[in-house]
Amino acid sequence: MSDGKYDTEVKLVLQEVSNADPAEVAKEFERYENEFLIPPRDALRSVVRKFMEPGSDADKTVSQPAIVAKKVSRFSELGSNDRNVSIEVLVSSYNSRLQQVRGEERQIGFGFIEDSPWEGERTKWEYKDWGNKAQDLLPNSIVRLEGVSVNEWNGKKSININQTSRVSVLKEGSGTPSVPTSEPITIEQASKGESTVTVVARVLSVKPDQIIRRDGSGSIDVVRGRVGDQTGSIGFLSWKALEVKEGDLVKIENAQVKRFRETPEINIGDYTKIEPYHDRAFPTKDDIQQESKSTIMNLRDGMRDVEIELQVVDWTVRSFTTKDGESREVRSGEVQDPSGRCRLTSWAKVDLIPGSFIKIQNARVQAWQGSPDLVTDGPDQIEVLEKAPFGPIDSSNHWVTEDLDVLTSGGSRRGISTSGRIVSVRSDSGIILRCTKEGCRRVLRDGMCGEHGEVEGSEDLRLMMVIDSGVSNASLLVSREPAESVIGESFQEITERIRTSGREPFMSELKERFLGHRVTVNGRSINDDRGCMIQAESLVVSETIPVEIAESVIERWGVVL
Amino acid sequence: MTFSNPIRVGRQSAIRVFAHEYRDATLPEQGSGEYDPGFMVTRLGAKINRALIAGTIDSSERRESESGQSFRFNLIDVTGTHRVEVSPFNPELHPEAEEIHARFERGDRFIMMVVGKQRSFTTEDGGVFTSYNAQEMREINSQIYAEWLAETADATLRRIDAYEKALTAEQSMAGFRGAGIPEDLVDGMLLSRAHYPDFESEVYMLDVLQALNAALGRSVEIVNRSPEPVPSNPVVEEKPPQNIVSENGSAMSLDDLIISTIAAGDRGEGVDYDAIIRECSVHGHSRQDAEDAIDSLRAVGGRISEHKFGWFRLTEV
Repeated sequence: MSDGKYDTEVKLVLQEVSNADPAEVAKEFERYENEFLIPPRDALRSVVRKFMEPGSDADKTVSQPAIVAKKVSRFSELGSNDRNVSIEVLVSSYNSRLQQVRGEERQIGFGFIEDSPWEGERTKWEYKDWGNKAQDLLPNSIVRLEGVSVNEWNGKKSININQTSRVSVLKEGSGTPSVPTSEPITIEQASKGESTVTVVARVLSVKPDQIIRRDGSGSIDVVRGRVGDQTGSIGFLSWKALEVKEGDLVKIENAQVKRFRETPEINIGDYTKIEPYHDRAFPTKDDIQQESKSTIMNLRDGMRDVEIELQVVDWTVRSFTTKDGESREVRSGEVQDPSGRCRLTSWAKVDLIPGSFIKIQNARVQAWQGSPDLVTDGPDQIEVLEKAPFGPIDSSNHWVTEDLDVLTSGGSRRGISTSGRIVSVRSDSGIILRCTKEGCRRVLRDGMCGEHGEVEGSEDLRLMMVIDSGVSNASLLVSREPAESVIGESFQEITERIRTSGREPFMSELKERFLGHRVTVNGRSINDDRGCMIQAESLVVSETIPVEIAESVIERWGVVL
Repeated sequence: MTFSNPIRVGRQSAIRVFAHEYRDATLPEQGSGEYDPGFMVTRLGAKINRALIAGTIDSSERRESESGQSFRFNLIDVTGTHRVEVSPFNPELHPEAEEIHARFERGDRFIMMVVGKQRSFTTEDGGVFTSYNAQEMREINSQIYAEWLAETADATLRRIDAYEKALTAEQSMAGFRGAGIPEDLVDGMLLSRAHYPDFESEVYMLDVLQALNAALGRSVEIVNRSPEPVPSNPVVEEKPPQNIVSENGSAMSLDDLIISTIAAGDRGEGVDYDAIIRECSVHGHSRQDAEDAIDSLRAVGGRISEHKFGWFRLTEV
C-alpha cells in the first residue's frame, strides 16, 4: 500500500466519522480504487457511509406506476359512439387503395385486426386507416392503437384509425406495407411481405403441375416455376394457363404474394396480367441463376428450386418398410458449405463419397426438428463436381460464428457458434426424468409424460439457461454430454452427489459457474413462434477479457479517451 | 406449471444500462393487458423491461411489511446508484439476500451483478422514481465487473449514436429506420423523442468515458471537461428548470446552480449528493469546486441542509 496516497480523503472521512481508524479507512480507499474501480474522490461518500454507525437510510416507498388511461382490451367493451379509444390488437392484414377524398387522391388502408393479441380468444374486426400508418401496421404485428374511434354501419362495428391516432408497435410484424401501384418493384421487395405486387422478371423455369384436391373431388391444373431479377428469384404458382417459356422477360401485374411456411410465392390468378417486356439491359437467365445459388445459411423451410453447391461429410443408406409393406431405401447424410451445415436426403439411389463436392438443383427444403434440411427426389438433381467450388473445410471443427442477434431473427441453423452472457440458470436444470416409451424422450413433470401419462421415467442430465446479448436472448439447452463436459463430472458422479448432499448445493454451484458469465456455445439454433432456442453441442465459459472488450468498443465507436 | 415451460414466450432481453441513464428516465410505458410487460423508456431511447446491472454494494436494508420481508440494496457504478429491491414475492432470492445483508452489516463491501425488472413510482406532482426488482443476483469479481462496464459503455454508445441520428431524422418509424437506427431502439426512441426535451448526449458520454477508463484499469476522474457552461438539460426532469439559466441567458454562479438544482429536484426527500455533483459537472464545474460550494452553502451560509446523510434540501424556500 502506498503510504499517504489517500491522506486527503482519509482526513475528510475522519471529519465525518471521528472514531474511525485511519489505517482502515485508507485500506478501504485502496480497495475501492483497485477492486471496485472507483477513484478515491468518488468513493468518499461510500467510505464515509461504511464507517458510520449502520443506520437506516430509508428511501421513499416505491410501488407500481398508477397511470390511468382510457383503455379497453376487447372489442366487445366498445360502443358504437366510442372515441379516443386505446386498445392493443394483432394486425391480420393490411391492404390499401387510392380513394378520392374531398377532391384529393389519398391512400386508404383497410383490413382486419384482432383484439386480445397476447392470449385467449380473439375477435376480428375490420378497420380503416385514414392516417397513412401503413409502416406501423404490418401484418402479424401487435400494435397499440391510441385515439382511434368506433364506426358503426349497417349494424356492424369497425375501427377507424385517424390522422391524429397513435400507433405504437409492440411486436414487429413481417413484410413491407403494400402500396397500391402498378409500378414494378424488385423481387427482393416483393418477397418481403404478403401483398399485391407488380414485377418485371425473367422466367427461370416453368412446368405444368397438378394440385390434388384434399376432398378427393379431382385435381386442378396449375403452372409452377420461378422468376428472377438482379435482386433475387421467387417461385410462382399460376392458376391459369401461361404462354411463357424459360428465358422470357415478362411484366407480371397485379399478382398476389403469399407465404407458404417461411417461403414467399407469387400467385398468378384471373386478375393478373402478364405481358412481354423489353429491356436489353436486363440480366440473362444464366446471370440470374448464377446469382441465385443458395448457401446453407439462407435455407428456409418450404423453399423450392434450390440450387446449391455442397461438400458431403457422411452418407448412409437406410431401408424401411412403408405402410403398404413395401420395402424402400432412403439415403441421407450431413453436408456443408462455408456458411454452415445441414442434412441432405435423397429419395433416388445416389451413392456419394464423403469429402466429395456436389451441386444439387431443384431441391426442396423441409424442416426437421426445426432445422431446414435439403431433399432431392430424382437422380439427375445431384451432380458430382470435379473441382471444389470452395476451399477446404475441417468438418470436425466447422462452426460458423454468428451474432446472437442474427440467430434469433433469422431461420433455424445448424453448425453455429455464438456467445452471450448467461442471465438465468433455470431451476429445471440438473437431473430430470424422461419418458421411457419408445420414441418418446419427453421430460416428465411430476412423474407424468405429456403424451403417455404416468410412466416410470429414466434419469438424464440437462441444463436450461438463458443467453443474452443485451439486444436479444435465447433459451440455451445443454444436454447430457456437453453438460458433463462443461461441469467436468460424469452423469453418475453428479447423480450421486445430488443424492447425498441434495439439489441446493448443486444449483448454487451451477449459478456460481454460469450466471453473469460470458459463454461461447457451439450447436444449432431453432427458431419458431415461441422464440429462439440454442441446443449446445459444446459450451465453454469464456475467459474474462475486460481490456480487450473495452478496446474493441473504443475502436468501434472511435472513442477518444 | 406454465412457469416451467422450457421456452419463455417473448422474453425481454436484459438491457445493459448505467445507473445514471436509468435514473434520469421518467417515462413509464405500460401495456393495457394484465400480462403485458411494463417498460421504462430512457432519454437515450432504451426501452427497459429487464436490465443487467452491476456495482459495489453501498447500502443494504431489510424491511418487514404486511406482505412479508423485503430487501433493498444500493449498488454504485461509475455513474451513480442502482436501487435494487428483493421483493416479498420472490422468496427464492431471500436466502441470498439475507446473506448479502449480513455481510454488508459486518462491514463487507463487494461487487454484485443483478438481473432486474424495472419498477417505478410516480408521485402526485409527476416525479418518477426508478428502481429494479431483482430476479437473479450474485457477487462478481472485478474482472467480470470491468467486462460489464465495457459492454454497457458499448450499449450506451449505440444509443447515443441512435439518439444523434434521431435528432435529424424524420420523426416516424420509417424515418428512424431510414436513418439507420437499430430496430430494437426505434420504438423507444420515438417514445423518448415525444416525451423528453432535447438534450446534449454529452452527459452520457461522460459515463462512457469513465466506464471505459475503469475497464482499462485506469482510475481517472473526469471533471471540468467543458469550460463553457452547457445551458439547461438538468438531470432531474419533469419540473421545468426555470432557474438554471438566468433571464439574459448567461450562466449563473455555482451556488445558485446548486440551489436551483435542489429546488427543481426536491420531491420531499431532498436531492442526493451525487445528483448535485453531476449537475454541476454538466455545467462545467469541477467536482472539487462543487463539493466546496456545497460545504460552504451548508456550513457557512446555512442555505441548504443535509437532513439525512447524503441528501440535501433548501432551508429557505
